[in-house]
Parts: sequence; C-alpha cells; structure tokens
Amino acid sequence: MNGIRFTRKQLCIPYALFLICFVVAPLLVIVYYAFTNGEGQFTLANLSGFFSSPNTIGTLAYSFAIAVVTTCVCLLIAYPVAYILARSNLKRKYAIVMVFVLPMWINFTLRITALKEVLTVLEGNLAYHPFLNSVIGMTYDFLPFMILPLYTTLMKLDNSLLEAANDLGANRAQTFFKVTLPLSVPGIISGIVMVFLPSMTNYVVLDMLYNSTYIMGSLIGSYFAAYDWHNGSMIALILLFIILIFTLFTNKYEAEDAGGRGGALL
Amino acid sequence: MKKSVSRILRMMIAVLLCVVCVVSALGDTVTAGVYDTDMSDSSDEVITLRVCNWEEYIDLGDWDEEELIDLDNGTEILGINSMVEDFEKWYYETYGVKVKVEYSCFGTNEDLYNMLTLGDVYDLVCPSEYLIMKLMAEEKLVPYSEEFFNEENELNYYTRGVSPFIQESFENNEINGEAWSKYAAGYMWGVTGIVYNPEEITEEEASTWAILNNRKYNRRVTIKDNVRDSYFAALGIMKADELTAPDFINAENYYDRLAEEMNDVSPETIEAVQDILQDMQQNVYSFETDSGKADMVSGKVLANYQWSGDAVYTMDQAEEDDFILKFAVPEECTNLYFDGWVMLKSGIGEDTAKQHAAEAFVNFLSRPDNAVRNMYYIGYTSVIAGAAGDDTIFEYVNWCYGAEDDEENVEDYRLGYFFSGDAEDEDYIITVPSEQISRQLYAQYPTEDVINRSAIMQYFDDASNQAINQMWINVRCYNMKDVPVGVWIFCMIVIVAMILLVVLRVMAKRAYKKW
Repeated sequence: MNGIRFTRKQLCIPYALFLICFVVAPLLVIVYYAFTNGEGQFTLANLSGFFSSPNTIGTLAYSFAIAVVTTCVCLLIAYPVAYILARSNLKRKYAIVMVFVLPMWINFTLRITALKEVLTVLEGNLAYHPFLNSVIGMTYDFLPFMILPLYTTLMKLDNSLLEAANDLGANRAQTFFKVTLPLSVPGIISGIVMVFLPSMTNYVVLDMLYNSTYIMGSLIGSYFAAYDWHNGSMIALILLFIILIFTLFTNKYEAEDAGGRGGALL
Repeated sequence: MKKSVSRILRMMIAVLLCVVCVVSALGDTVTAGVYDTDMSDSSDEVITLRVCNWEEYIDLGDWDEEELIDLDNGTEILGINSMVEDFEKWYYETYGVKVKVEYSCFGTNEDLYNMLTLGDVYDLVCPSEYLIMKLMAEEKLVPYSEEFFNEENELNYYTRGVSPFIQESFENNEINGEAWSKYAAGYMWGVTGIVYNPEEITEEEASTWAILNNRKYNRRVTIKDNVRDSYFAALGIMKADELTAPDFINAENYYDRLAEEMNDVSPETIEAVQDILQDMQQNVYSFETDSGKADMVSGKVLANYQWSGDAVYTMDQAEEDDFILKFAVPEECTNLYFDGWVMLKSGIGEDTAKQHAAEAFVNFLSRPDNAVRNMYYIGYTSVIAGAAGDDTIFEYVNWCYGAEDDEENVEDYRLGYFFSGDAEDEDYIITVPSEQISRQLYAQYPTEDVINRSAIMQYFDDASNQAINQMWINVRCYNMKDVPVGVWIFCMIVIVAMILLVVLRVMAKRAYKKW
C-alpha cells in the first residue's frame, strides 16, 4: 500500500471545497446584491447612498473611532506587559503568558456578561458612558490578541544587538527607542490587525453593554432585518474593501520595514 | 496495473474527504432525521410536518412532580413529555397515521420572513399578526379547511374553544376582503405595557407612554430594540392629548379612529416620531432585545416597555426574590397583538394528508389541558377559553390568581369579555387579592377597559416600511453632524502629524541614500 501518495493538489481539495462553498459563493452573492436593486437591475444607487448619508458615514466614523481607541488602549497596555515578560528572567514565563491567554478559552459573551456586572458596580449606571464601556469591553475582549504577537516578537529579539547598543554608549531609553521598538514593529502591526479589524464590527459587545448607537456590524444587521439585502450587502462590501486596503497597507509597511530598517541596523 | 490501482485509491480517498466535509456540514440534518425507533415497526407512510415557532414558545415537558397543576374541577395537568412528542403519539392513536414533526424555531418575525424568502420550507408557522397580514396579502397561505370550523366535531378543539373576543377580532380584520380567521388560528395574545418598580415610580407615572421620555428617570427606563414597538410608543407620546380627549374617547367610532391614529404612517408623522425617538434615545437605559427582563429583576432599571407575556415572566422572577414589580397599561392606547398558526403554500401545497396533520396540530395545542401546559410554561396568554362545559382554562386562571378563602382585601375581577363574550357575565368573575389587579393577572388577562383602548398595528406597505426603517436607522446611527468641534480639531492635528511623519521619514531615507 506504500504506493498511495497524495499530490499537493489533491490535499488541497477539501480546503478548496470549503473555500468555494463558504467564502467565494457567499461573496459573489453579496456582490450581486450590492449592485442590484429590488427589481434585480444593475444600479450604483446603493453605493452613492452610503456616501451621501450623514448617518452611514457617521456610523463608519463611530466604528472607526471605537476601533482606533481600542487599538491604542490595547497597545499601551499590552506592550509593557509583553516587554517585561519577554525580557525578564522568570523561570515560569510560559505560565504567566498562559494567564493572559486563559480568558480566550472562555466564551466571550460570558466574559462580557461578567464585565457588565463589574462595570455596573464601578459606574453605577452603564448608560451614562456608552463609548467608554464599549472601548473597555473591546479591550477586554481583544487584549490577548495584542499581547501574544508582541510577546513572540520581543522574545526573538537578539540580545547581542542590545549589548552592541550599550557598548556604543546608548542609554536604556535610547536602546529602547532606537533598537527594541523598531525591531518589534512586525509584532505591533500583527497585533493592530488582529485588534483593529474585529473591533470595527463586533456589535455584540455594544449590545451587551447597552450602547444603543449602531456600528458597522449592527447597521448591516438592521438592513437585513428590514429585508433590504441590497443596501446591507453594499455596506458589507464597503467594509470588506476598507479591510482590504488596511491589510495591504500594513503588509506593505511590514515588508518595507523588514528590508529597509534591518539593513540600516546592520 | 499497480500504479493505476493506487491512482484510483487516491481518487477515492480524495472523494471520501470531500464527502466527509459535506456530511459534517449537513450533520444537523442527518441526526435530526434519526428519531424514535418504536415508530418504524410497520411500513405505513409517515407524514412529515415541518413546524416553525418562536423560541421558547411551547411546553417542552420534563416538569417536576410538585409542579402538578390540580384544578378545582378535578383536572390534573403535568407536562411529562414535550408537546411535540405528545402530539405525535396522540395523532397516531386518534387517526392511526404516523406523523413526524420537524420542529424548529425563529427569533423574530423578520428572521422568519427572511428564512421563507431564502427558500426554507415549512408547513406550519406561528408569526405575529402583522406578518400574517403580509403573508396573506402576498397570497402565500393555505386557508383552513371547512372541517376545521365544524363545531360538531369534538376533536376541533380550536373552533370549539377559541375565545369569542379573539374570534371576533380575527373575523373583523380583513386583508384583501378576506377575514384573518380563514387563514390563521390564534395561539397566544397580549397587550403591551410598562413593568415598573412601585417603590420608585407611581402608577400614574407608569400609565403613560411619556414615562419613556420622562427625564426624572433618565437612563433608568428601557425600550424594545424593535422598530414597530418603538414607533407605537412614540405615536402614543405624540398623540397623547388627542387620544385622551373626552371627545375622542366618547366618539361613536372611537375604536376605528383609534386604530387609524395608531397606524398613521404619513411622512410628517414619521418625521415627528423620529424626533421623539431621538429624544428617547437620550433618556433610556438601552434599546434592549432580551436583557430588559433581567435588568428589571436585578434593579438596574425602574421601568421597562414589555409585551404582557414577558411582563408576567418578569414579575414572577422578581417575586422569587421577594421583589415586587407591577404592570401598567398606558392610558392613551395599547398595542393588541396575536401570534397565530398559518399554513404555507410552499410547504403544504395540495397535500391534504399533511394539511390534516397541520390542522390537528393546531387543535391539539388548543385542547384546554395543553393550552394550560403552554401557558404555564411560557407565561403568555392562550387564545383558548375552553369549549362549553369545559372550564379548565377558567379554573386555571383561578388556580393561579384566585384568593384563598380566608384572605382579606379581595376584589372581583371580571373576565366575561374573554370567556363568554359578555363582559357582564356573572359566571366568569374571579375573586382575587387586590394587589393582583395591578400585577400578573392584569398582564395576563387585562381588564375590559384595557381591551377597549387597544389597537391592532397593521403591516406597513413597502413604501412606508422603507421610510420607517430609514427613520429607525437615522435614530440609531451616529450622525456626522453631531461630531463635536473638539474632535474635528483633534482629528486634523492627528492627520497633519501623520503626514509630517511620513514626509520626515521619506526625507531621512533620501538623506541616508545620498550618504
């Protein structure tokens, strides 16, 4: 039976099938709906409708604001933690990293329900600070996604580079800003990608923490609930486009950085 | 030769992997198909009935022994098996035909409608009145058979037992000249109102839609995250003066005029409603989909706009913690709603055997003891009042709410309008503790005055539906015009700083290259 070997192509079949059924086909349906109207005719009205309404643009801006603030907060909290963990001489580093990852094993709606009660104790009435609560909820949810890539990048940091910087007379702050920070940019970028994109659409957090303003995800949902597949699909497509641009931008930056900066250091 | 065998094998394994993928995707359907083996003993044909109902809207059985409901008329009711299993058994015993119910659930009327448009096929579904109207208008329903309305047949529990009050509503409301009753059989009904905490809010304050905009309870009241219910409440606030004016109330055609006012979808009204709802958004704790009940019980909010069935559930839950909540129905007007069983053309078609099973399912749910089981389990109010000579439902109401013999502070509560169609009927009066008059009983079986000021909300036609949904999106979305000046300035600074950074970077690179 040693004659049975799979070629690479054959091994890809299950994944390709999965991709076609659950990613490509739905995407085509979305594109179809986005560019047609109720009668099935081609139209660009959905597209122009999105950009001409202060409400949809406002929703985009609001989602963007939540995502930006969440990402910044996550970065500010995660970087020191990852740095300290990676640079410390603790014997049980992995155990501590586990503590940060552990919450990911619990279903996030359960975690948000718990957070809701904690915030109610702290704030009294959640409804007075909807934006703040949403950011706290998102940060709570996505923090591990920021810590992990940062931790792995900082772990791989070559100690000899830091020693060299010291030898050449850089103080600790200079070493950090001139060597450690630039070298951890790939980790920062993958952290940002993993936090920023989901926090633009994760409306369950807002719902559960009583923020009744729509973000992109809930806006799409509300169109679908009103049987308006066309506008809903268009917004989904626009969102996809934004994500695409964002990913391309970060990829480009990452590549440029790996080449240019690395060379400069050596 | 060997080579080609291994090639075939490889192909087969690849195909097998594909099959595994597909099968795991369809896993739900496959396991759902495997059921009671004790039914497969004979070769008789099995009718498959695809039923789609609201979530948590039917008795699933499995009650504790102590939950036994023993009524004064000697009936004892205990849900052991789920209602669906009991139906399958009953149908076989009664008609000698096997039926398999494929039971599934939907979350909102809109979800159900979307499921139907996307090609899901069901035989019997239980939407609310406005979706029934829409489905009727779109001619997607199968009318009930003549036999279903035959009062002589003892097994026609629905026709024999439905409350005269409900029957009247179903006969008087028409779509395209045809009465609802031809296409729909009621299941549960109720009104909308306000559950409130009597320690903080007076009954008077709670008995008006304006409580939702009352700044005294800023961020301590909640409303449904649902455009129709919100629209109704906003209309109530907007037209409060008109609706409570004596001239209006005492007018001869009060009921018709009320229905007209509460179904006003003119552009000016929609615009005014938008303002009211925007104002409300600044006042409410949240637009809730399901959290309102829990928030009411935990005391996070003081008042909550609710459907009467959920109100009963909320008050029951709170009572377990010795926390007393009350129910009020706004003075202006209340929304009378129904959920009813309708048969779909896409599922039933011309299949008379299947239609018979579907009608039997409705009848089985309408059998008084089963109606009690469902009511006990879900807290809503059944449309069934009981056939002549069978007072199970009335006894159940008495069992739930009737006063003990030695209790003081009791009052008579008239339910004649529901049970016999005659509000003054002396046979349908229960003596209840006075406090019940503003609590569960009032929510489950509202008084006749509440019914008199209730209106049924019609379905919106496509044009007004679009306008109202747009209005709702305007309310819920963040408007660009509301961005504070400070934020604009901050964003400008950030953008300028980023551009500067990029420019500096490029310049530094150039300098480095030159060097």
